[in-house]
Amino acid sequence: MTSWKKVTMGSAAVLAAVMLAACGKSSTESTKTTSKDLTGTVKLWVDTTNVDYYKTIVKNFSKKYPKVNVTVTQSPNGSANAKTDVGKDPSKAADVFQVPNDQLGSMADQGYINPLSPAATKAVKKDDVAVAADAVTWKGKMYAYPTDQQAQTLYYNKSMLSADDVKSWKTLTAKGVLATDFTNAYNFYPIFFSAGTQLYGKDGETLKGTNINNAKGVAAMTWFAEQKQNKNVMQTSNTLNQMKSGHAAATIDGPWNAANIKKILGKNFAVAPYPTINVGGKEVQMQAFLGIGSFAVNSHTATKNQKAAATLAQFVTNKQSQLIGYRHNGSIPVNKSAQTSKEVADDPVAKAVMVMSQPGNSVVMPKMTQMATFWNLSAPLINGAYTGSIKPAQYATKLDTFVNAISKDN
Amino acid sequence: MTSYRAQRHLSLALRYLLLIVLAVIWIVPIVWIVLASFSANDTGFVSTFFPEKYTIQNYVDIFTSTQFPFVYWIRNTLFVAVISTILSTFVTICVAYTLSRLRFHFRKPFLQIALVLGMFPGFMSMIALYYILKSFNMLNLGGLILVYVGGAGLGFYVAKGFFDTIPVAIDEAAVMDGATKWQVFWHIGLPMSRPIIVYTALMAFIAPWIDFIFSGIILSASGNSKNYTIAYGLYNMLNGTLGKSTTFFTQFIAGCVIIAVPITIFFVIMQKFYVSGITAGADKG
Amino acid sequence: MFNRKKKHLPPAATFREVWQKGDASFKLSFFFMGLAQLKHKQWAKGIAYLGLEVAFLIWLVFTGISSLRMLSNLGAIKQKKVVFDEAQGVYITKLPDNSVVILLFGVLSVILVVAMIGLYISNLNSVRKLYVQLRDGEHVPTNSEDLHSLFDSRLHTTLMTIPIIGIVAFNILPTLYMISMAFTNYDGKHAIGFSWTGFKAFGNVLTGDLAGTFFPVLGWTLVWAVMATATTFFFGVLLALLIESKGIQHRAFWRTIFVIVYAVPQFVSLLMMAQFLDLQGPLNNILMNWHLIAHPINFIGASANPLVARITVIVVNMWIGIPVSMLVSTAIIQNLPQDQIEAARMDGANAFQVFNNITFPQILFVMAPALIQQFIGNINNFNVIFLLTKGFPMNNNYNGAGDTDLLVTWLYNLVFGQTQRYNASAVLGILIFLLSATFSLIAYRRTNAFKEG
Repeated sequence: MTSWKKVTMGSAAVLAAVMLAACGKSSTESTKTTSKDLTGTVKLWVDTTNVDYYKTIVKNFSKKYPKVNVTVTQSPNGSANAKTDVGKDPSKAADVFQVPNDQLGSMADQGYINPLSPAATKAVKKDDVAVAADAVTWKGKMYAYPTDQQAQTLYYNKSMLSADDVKSWKTLTAKGVLATDFTNAYNFYPIFFSAGTQLYGKDGETLKGTNINNAKGVAAMTWFAEQKQNKNVMQTSNTLNQMKSGHAAATIDGPWNAANIKKILGKNFAVAPYPTINVGGKEVQMQAFLGIGSFAVNSHTATKNQKAAATLAQFVTNKQSQLIGYRHNGSIPVNKSAQTSKEVADDPVAKAVMVMSQPGNSVVMPKMTQMATFWNLSAPLINGAYTGSIKPAQYATKLDTFVNAISKDN
Repeated sequence: MTSYRAQRHLSLALRYLLLIVLAVIWIVPIVWIVLASFSANDTGFVSTFFPEKYTIQNYVDIFTSTQFPFVYWIRNTLFVAVISTILSTFVTICVAYTLSRLRFHFRKPFLQIALVLGMFPGFMSMIALYYILKSFNMLNLGGLILVYVGGAGLGFYVAKGFFDTIPVAIDEAAVMDGATKWQVFWHIGLPMSRPIIVYTALMAFIAPWIDFIFSGIILSASGNSKNYTIAYGLYNMLNGTLGKSTTFFTQFIAGCVIIAVPITIFFVIMQKFYVSGITAGADKG
Repeated sequence: MFNRKKKHLPPAATFREVWQKGDASFKLSFFFMGLAQLKHKQWAKGIAYLGLEVAFLIWLVFTGISSLRMLSNLGAIKQKKVVFDEAQGVYITKLPDNSVVILLFGVLSVILVVAMIGLYISNLNSVRKLYVQLRDGEHVPTNSEDLHSLFDSRLHTTLMTIPIIGIVAFNILPTLYMISMAFTNYDGKHAIGFSWTGFKAFGNVLTGDLAGTFFPVLGWTLVWAVMATATTFFFGVLLALLIESKGIQHRAFWRTIFVIVYAVPQFVSLLMMAQFLDLQGPLNNILMNWHLIAHPINFIGASANPLVARITVIVVNMWIGIPVSMLVSTAIIQNLPQDQIEAARMDGANAFQVFNNITFPQILFVMAPALIQQFIGNINNFNVIFLLTKGFPMNNNYNGAGDTDLLVTWLYNLVFGQTQRYNASAVLGILIFLLSATFSLIAYRRTNAFKEG
């Protein structure tokens, strides 16, 4: 089944490439002529802090589609809560809204969002990196337009640590203090990946595909417990403050905080991909979750506005818009040619994030409905191992319970 | 004799010492909040008691911020607070007076239903309230006022306790003289209940300034931060975008201090009404 | 007062008699409310009854019947369908029926029908009264007399109408809606179209995957409510006595210092308190600088020790709650009869004995009803937990709750959190109600505070 899917997807991509190469200019011209006639009224939700630059993007959009009326507003609780914000009253929610990819599965199942048209699917596959296209695909259909990638990286203080020091967790924490938060599963669940396990299978869509209730899982749990003994690993809820005061030399954080850290560290700011860690006696790459920021189209949008909404979603995620997002907000583009543009390619943060987004360094957040339960249960599990409230003897049973709880059909 | 006096002096000194220690413990966190609002800090966390660097920039920023229209929030909240105070006080006093002074068929069932309703936690009803207001197209400040006023009919306990303490003989004398019940209510009941009216109004006025959940659910749907009330607006500054809490944290504290100061002063001035309200309700036992 | 009630006892006339012996307008009044009143020139009453009936019937025909019928299955279409819209070249989702709205308006319809039945009964009573007045040759109230009675014998109707409408719309309707939600499968999986599932959700909470969380959280909720109420009350009384004790000057000033803490809006004081108590927060820094502790204490962090966090929460609650109970106890202390205390002093009782045997019992006696209310309030004390700890520290034995979570904050998480278990939270709401109701019932029985009620 999966191989069959690959074949079709591959052939579709080839076909699309051929078609686009063949049509080339003429196709873009034809959209230009129709673009003037597209009508509709569309509401766009973005994060509060991003409203300003999305207004710029929408201004560009309006030049191309003058008859589409777009309003940009802030979403009630930010894109991270898109599922609950839209779920509260889908008919009042925006027609196009920002959403992290891990919520797409349940939003698609609940019927909150529409799949992308075949043409748009092709375009995403052609323009954006493969991992982004995969991340917005659920049960064979694409449900959102990817716009940026969020993989955590290592940020450190150059005056306290060297580029060589941060290559392995061991040397890093031997020479300086790393401040982090073990109560945040986004930070530390990926250690289980480093230990060689999978979450909801290889494709992230297999309900029974989580296999951490074994020796590998126990190895990851042991690693958490070891960190408590490590004097140079600091548990804190305010890493930035610790970086600023000099109590900490390094932290792991996402690109959304890069600008803040840069401000705090000034010329001592440095960034690198995750180090290697020693799990279960093996030195392996420390992995991260890869989140893809995306825009989805509300299924409650009136039929007459659907096309306009889809067009807007596509526009706010095109190369030009992604670059605007990068300049204003530090969002790392997923558009292939935006990634190779000089400003992005020369940026150390973008470089580090792009390295981290490679397979083997990170795993795309699964989109299962059960992810809500997963987030609820994984943090106490990791924290329990870290603080020692879960004793090594209990690791196996706790992991069993955890896997059972997140693998339930409902 | 001298030893007795010395003992008394010692006792007084010890009591003063205890009182001072307690007062310091109580007030230190508040002082810290005020100090933190003057700190120049971009890490989203204030880890020291005294700021490393003082600034008034936070106050300037909160008033000039384009993302967080603070002045609108104050204006909205003031609007909601004033209207809802007038209406809620009226509703509460009417209900309390009726239940305390008038006898009618539905009185006992009403008291029982009110008691039962008060015991359900309010959060679940929020979803329903949202849709009720939506069907009236009232997901705005007006709707928020409706919710506050709608709930006021159940907040009669304290005021009823107060009315219960006024002797019935006064009413009966007036009725003997030919007064209607309305006249009794209007010319005798209301003038006598000044302290409880002030208490009820005080509570109704403060509510919109501190409610961040109800107002959030009702007002956030518009997506326009100019429609928010202050409590939700400030709360929203910390919750939402990743990395946002860091950038705006000290502005948030400054905003909090700005609204906390008047409310605190207001409450301190009005505390004697608050006490009379609470004890009026409690005296019944 | 009670004599008058007797005078209003309905005179002997059964509805059967009204039906059999009344004229045509009385007979018709059984179907068309208000006709008898209209015929006998009680225009206001008659028009009101008739108008309301007409309005009700119009509503019933146009929306009432359909919304009542939909209530039975909460909408027929439960599954979404994704179709491709060729004309626009985009996918369109055909959505399930919106059960939330159907349920809400169904409940509203039921309320309206019940209200109509109530109105019908009141119409019959009014008709009967009119019949008796005519039969016995009594004076039939005129229009203006009827209207005047609204400001006299029926003043309660005038004063209560608006509040009751508000209570029905904004309290009763939402509460009934919540209760009915507990009997559906309204959750993340069935977010738009859901159906009735009986007591299944109760099963989930009491014996299913949430049981392992429910009972420990319930236990802590009770411990918390007892501790929070007792500590604030007891220490509030002590503080009041301290401030009121002989020789202390500027009492109002001292009281004000404490009251300030209570007056600051809780979302400010508690949110900031959470930072103040953080592992790297100011309090730990101060204590470390003074060398009182060697390592920072994790008071309320997500990885804190549960016992430490629970104690901290109770202590912080004292910080907020003591000022109020101090204020109230002060008022009571000032009104306490002094003779008993003086007599005890004469007999050589020391301060502690006076407090223990006279002052405290008296305050307790006066405060008892308020304490019960506080106890119920503490069971539902959302702010202190939500703003201070967010329910943390984490507990790996719980499902979606932390060590300091109360039932009510857990309920909040179930509704507004990512898991979207609306039905389970409705069940929790009902259970919280049962808990509060049980305690108030016992307490009120014992204090008799509501006997007169």
